[in-house]
Amino acid sequence: MNQHRWNWHLWAGFVLCILGFASLPVLARFPATRDVPWVNLLLFGTGLAFLFVGLRRAFGQPQQYRGKVAGSIVGAVSLLTVALFCFVVFYQTRQLPASTGAPKVGEKAPEFVLPDTSNQPISLSSLLSTPFANSHAPPKGVVLVFYRGYW
Amino acid sequence: MSRDLCRKAGYTFTFLSDPKAEVIRRYDLLHPGAGVRGQDIARPAEFLVDSSGVIRWANLTEDYRVRARPDQIIEQAKGLK
Repeated sequence: MNQHRWNWHLWAGFVLCILGFASLPVLARFPATRDVPWVNLLLFGTGLAFLFVGLRRAFGQPQQYRGKVAGSIVGAVSLLTVALFCFVVFYQTRQLPASTGAPKVGEKAPEFVLPDTSNQPISLSSLLSTPFANSHAPPKGVVLVFYRGYW
Repeated sequence: MSRDLCRKAGYTFTFLSDPKAEVIRRYDLLHPGAGVRGQDIARPAEFLVDSSGVIRWANLTEDYRVRARPDQIIEQAKGLK
């Protein structure tokens, strides 16, 4: 029998690698899959394993399996996808300024006045002295959260 | 825009704007040119300030995708007197 069989491992691996990248915006919405992107890495790992098997078949048993050319292309694209993911997640998002002048634990938080959503000026000291909601005592503290824009 | 966002998200805490990044600069939290259109924005950071205005806990993440989680901050806030 000299018929060339469809080398599905190659395509399964390719789809898994693309999925591993494309799922980033969704998985990044949940801290459990964002802080350590284990689901993405699992998809990449499985995808690359399938690609490895597919490529070994294409080149090792070329009489039986197809995919020498297609396999090389999807293999290269998959590797580039994984590399781009790793660049963004393990390098780019860690390029932050040193912020050596940021206030430290034990120091007084620098006072500020900023407008709230009704354009009323709000100071840190007023936040610390104004009773919150239906309480009569001033709050025990204030949490300041600086964020980048939408998240 | 912030008001609509707050209402949509159901936030009840005070939500402040720092359009010129003045306070962000004063806290040395500026991340220059990191906005979608190259604007200067803040690096993510969280501070717990006690009633006397002293910082009791701070988190300056090394990776802007990784932030303090709410339960982490609540745990720290429990220690306030």
